[in-house]
Amino acid sequence: METIKHIFTDEWRYWQRTKLGITVLLIGLVLTLAAVVVNTMNIQQAAFERKQLQETAEARFVDQPDRHPHRMVHYGHYVFRTPSQLSTVEPGVDAYTGTSIFLEGHRQNSAIFADQRQSSGMTRFSSLSPSFLLQILAPLFVIIVGFASVTREKEAGTLNIMITQGLSLSQLFVGKYLALFCGSLLFILPVGIASIFATLNGEATVITLGFFVGYCFYMAVWCGVVIGISSLFNKSSASFASSISMWVLLCILVPRIGSSTAAAIEPSQGKLEADFAVLEALRKLGDGHNAQDPAFAALKANLLAQYDADDVSELPVNFRGVVAQYSEQKLTDVLNRFAEARMDTELAQTQVSRWFGWLSPTVAIRTFSMAMAGTNIETHHRFLREAEILRFDFVQSLNKVHADHLDYNHDVNRYKNEDTATAAKVDASHWQVLSSFSFAPAPTMDRIQQSLSAATQLLFWVLLTVGFLVVAIRRVKP
Amino acid sequence: MSYFNDIKREATFIAKQKYRVAFVLAAFVLSVFAVWSGITETQTQHATIARLLEKDHTDRVNVQSHQSDFGSAAYYTFHLTYAEPSPMAFAAMGQRDVFPWKHRIRMLALEGQIYETDADNPELSLVGRFDYAFLISVLMPLFVILLLHDLRSGEKEAGRFDLLTVTTSNQRALWLTRAAVQSAALGVAIMLPFVVGAIVTGASALNVALVVAITIIHLAVWTTIAFAIGGIKRFASMNSARVASSLLGIWLLITVMIPVAGDTIIKSAVQSPSGGQIVLTQREAVNGAWDLPFSATWDEFLATHPQWADKTDMNSLFEWKWYYAFQQVGDQTAAPLSSSYREAIQRRDKLASYIAWVSPPMLTQRVMTAIADTNTHAMMAYEASIRQYHADLRQFYYPLLFNNVEFSVDVLNDLPSFNKQGDGVKSSQP
Repeated sequence: METIKHIFTDEWRYWQRTKLGITVLLIGLVLTLAAVVVNTMNIQQAAFERKQLQETAEARFVDQPDRHPHRMVHYGHYVFRTPSQLSTVEPGVDAYTGTSIFLEGHRQNSAIFADQRQSSGMTRFSSLSPSFLLQILAPLFVIIVGFASVTREKEAGTLNIMITQGLSLSQLFVGKYLALFCGSLLFILPVGIASIFATLNGEATVITLGFFVGYCFYMAVWCGVVIGISSLFNKSSASFASSISMWVLLCILVPRIGSSTAAAIEPSQGKLEADFAVLEALRKLGDGHNAQDPAFAALKANLLAQYDADDVSELPVNFRGVVAQYSEQKLTDVLNRFAEARMDTELAQTQVSRWFGWLSPTVAIRTFSMAMAGTNIETHHRFLREAEILRFDFVQSLNKVHADHLDYNHDVNRYKNEDTATAAKVDASHWQVLSSFSFAPAPTMDRIQQSLSAATQLLFWVLLTVGFLVVAIRRVKP
Repeated sequence: MSYFNDIKREATFIAKQKYRVAFVLAAFVLSVFAVWSGITETQTQHATIARLLEKDHTDRVNVQSHQSDFGSAAYYTFHLTYAEPSPMAFAAMGQRDVFPWKHRIRMLALEGQIYETDADNPELSLVGRFDYAFLISVLMPLFVILLLHDLRSGEKEAGRFDLLTVTTSNQRALWLTRAAVQSAALGVAIMLPFVVGAIVTGASALNVALVVAITIIHLAVWTTIAFAIGGIKRFASMNSARVASSLLGIWLLITVMIPVAGDTIIKSAVQSPSGGQIVLTQREAVNGAWDLPFSATWDEFLATHPQWADKTDMNSLFEWKWYYAFQQVGDQTAAPLSSSYREAIQRRDKLASYIAWVSPPMLTQRVMTAIADTNTHAMMAYEASIRQYHADLRQFYYPLLFNNVEFSVDVLNDLPSFNKQGDGVKSSQP
C-alpha cells in the first residue's frame, strides 16, 4: 500500500515538474467548468422561456371569447417541451428536435423550432456542452497526460532499477493507474457539482449518482487504455501515436460511422411520406366536418333508434357534435397507429447506431448519459405521445361540448345571419376543459431500464480494459 | 532529375514504414466509406422525392375530383415542395439533416405551416454524419499531425538526424520532400474515392476541381503548420510526443475552441425572436378574425391587395374569399416577427462566415457545403422558394374566389407547379 501511494505521489510530482501534465489537467478542469456554467445558464434561459410560452398559450386559450366549439378545435393549442434537469450536462438531442408542437383537431403536427436551425452552424462537430468535452475531449487530455507513464521509466532505465529493488509490476501499475484516474476525475468534478445541483432541484439521486458513476467508468476505461498502450511500447513517441490513433478511432470515427451506417441500412420513411398512407386510411373514415358523409350512416341509424327519433334534429344531442367525436376517435386511432410505427422505425434506426457501443466506449457512454439525463430520442417520443394525449383530450372535450351544449338547429343555421351566428356559440367558460401541460422526462425506473444495455456495454469496456491491462503487465519487457 | 530521385528515395523510405502506409490505407478506406454512405444517402433522398411526387400527384387528383368549389379545393389540396440534393451533396450533407428539404403546403396561412419539419432522426443528427467534408475538415488534419509530427524528432530519436543533416546538401529540401511525399500520399488516398464518387453522381467538372483544390489547400495548410512547428528552434529539442501535443493543441484551438467560442459570441450578439412567438401571433390574428367585423379583415387585406377593393361584399356569414383573406392577414401580422427570425439566421450565418476565416477546418466545411448547396444559405433559399410558391398559389386562387368563377376541375390543371428556384441559387459566400 505504501509503495502504491509512493508511486502515486511521484506521478503527480512529475506532472507538476514537467508542467505539461498539470497544464492539461487544469485546462480540462477550466473547460468543463466553463461548459457546465454556460450550458446551465442557456438551459435555464430556455426552460424559463418555454415555461413562459406555455403559460401564455394556456392563458390565451381559456381567454378566448364565446365561440362555436369547433372553432376552438381549430384554434388549437401549443405545447412546449421543458428541458430536463441533467440536460445542463447532457443536452442530448434537445437542440436537434423541435421544442414545440401545435395541437389541433384532425391532425398530428410535427415538433417545430429546433435550436440547431437558429444557431450559427458552427457547432456541428464540437459544442460547448459538458457532455462533448467529457466524451470526446477528456480522453484526449488523459492521453496527453499519461501516454509516457510507463515508457518514460523504460526510456530512462528506471523501470529496471525499480524491479531489481523488488517492486512488483502490479504495484507500479496500480499506482500509476490511480494517479491518472484521479487526474481524470478533475474533468468530471464540475459534472459532479452539476449533478448535486440537479439532485437539489428534484432529480432522483439514483439517476444523478448513476450518471456520475457512468462517467467515472468511462474515464477508468480510457486511463486503462492509455496505461496499457504505454506499457506495450518502449518509446514514448510510439505510445503517443498509438494512443492518439486509438482516440481518433474510438471517439471520432466509430460514432459517426455508426450514425451513417444506421441511416444507410435502416432508412426511415419520414413523416411526409408516411402521411400519404395516413391520408389513404383516413379517407375511408369520412370527413368529420360533414355529418351527411355516408360513412356516418350507421352511427346515425343507431342514434335515431336509441332515442326513438325520426330525424337528427329531434335528437337530445347535437348530431354534428356526435359525428365530430366519433370521427376524431377513429381518426386518432389511425394517426396513432402510424405515429407508433414511425417511432418504431426511428428507434430501430437508433438501435443500429447504439449497437456501435460494443465497438466504442464513446458511443456507450453517450447512449448511457442521454438515457439517464432523459435527453435521448425516447424522451422526444415521450414528448410527442404526451402532447398527443393532451391534443386528443381537449379536442374530444370540445366535441363533447359541441354535442351537449349546442343545439343542432342553431348549429346548422350558423351562417344564416348575425343572430343565428350568435346562437351557434357556447359560453367561454367551456374553454376551461384544457388541462395544463408540463413535460417531465420519464420516471426514474424507466430511464434506468433504458440505460441498461448501454451500461452493459460500459461494463464490457471496463472488463476489456482490465483484461488488456493484465495482458500488458505480463508483456512488459523492462 | 534530382528532384525526381529525391521524391523516389523518400517514397521508398516511407513505404518501408508499415504504420505510415497503414495510416494512408486507413484514410483511403475511410474516404471510401464516406463517399459510399454519402451516395447512398443522396440516392435515398432522390428516390424519396420521386415517390413523393407520384403520391402527391395521385393524392391531389383524388382530392380535386371530390370538390365542388374553389375554396374547398384550395383548403383540401396540399402541394409538394422539395429541394433535390445536388450532385455534390454526397460529399457534404451540411444542414440538410437539420433544415427540411421536403414540405407540403396548402393555401392556409403560411406562417402556421412553414416551420413544420420532417426532420431526420435527431440522435443521428446529433452524432453527425461521416461525410467527405467531415473527413477533410476535421479528420485529415489529425492524420497530417500523426504522419508529420516526428518528421525531424523521429530521426533524432532514431539517432540518424546528424548523419542525415551532414550528408545532405540542402537540409530544408530534405524535410520538405519527406513531408510533401507523405501529405501527397494522404491526399491522393482521400481524394481518389471522392473523384470516383463525383463521376458516379455526375457532378460538374468545375465543382470537382473546386473540391479537389480545397482539399489540397487544406492539406497544404496543415502540412505547413506541422512542418513549421517542427522546424521552430524552441521545438527542436522536444521529443516527438511533445511536438505532437503542441500540434494537437493547435488543432483543438482552431477546430473546436474557435467555433465553439464563436458560436457563443454570435448567439449573444444576434438576438432573434423566439419561434413560439411567431406562431402564437399568427394564430391569434387568424382565429381572431372570426370574431371581428368583416371590415377589420378587409382593411388589412386591401392594404396589400387593393385590386379586390370592389369585390368584398359578403352574401353569407361565411365566404371562402373572406376566409383566405384573413389567412393572408394572419401572415401579414406575423411578417415582421417572421422576417426578423429569418434575418437572425442569416446574420448568424454571415458572422460565422467571418469567424471561419480564422479556423481553416470551419472554412473548409463552409466552402464544401456552399459548393454542395447544402449550407444554411441554400436551405434558406429553399424556404424562400416555398414562400414564393405559396404566393403563386394565392395569385392563382384569388381571381377565382373574388370573381366568383364557376367551379370546374379543368381550371385546376393550370395550378402553378413548384419549380425549384432554390436549385438555381448558388451561394457565393463561404
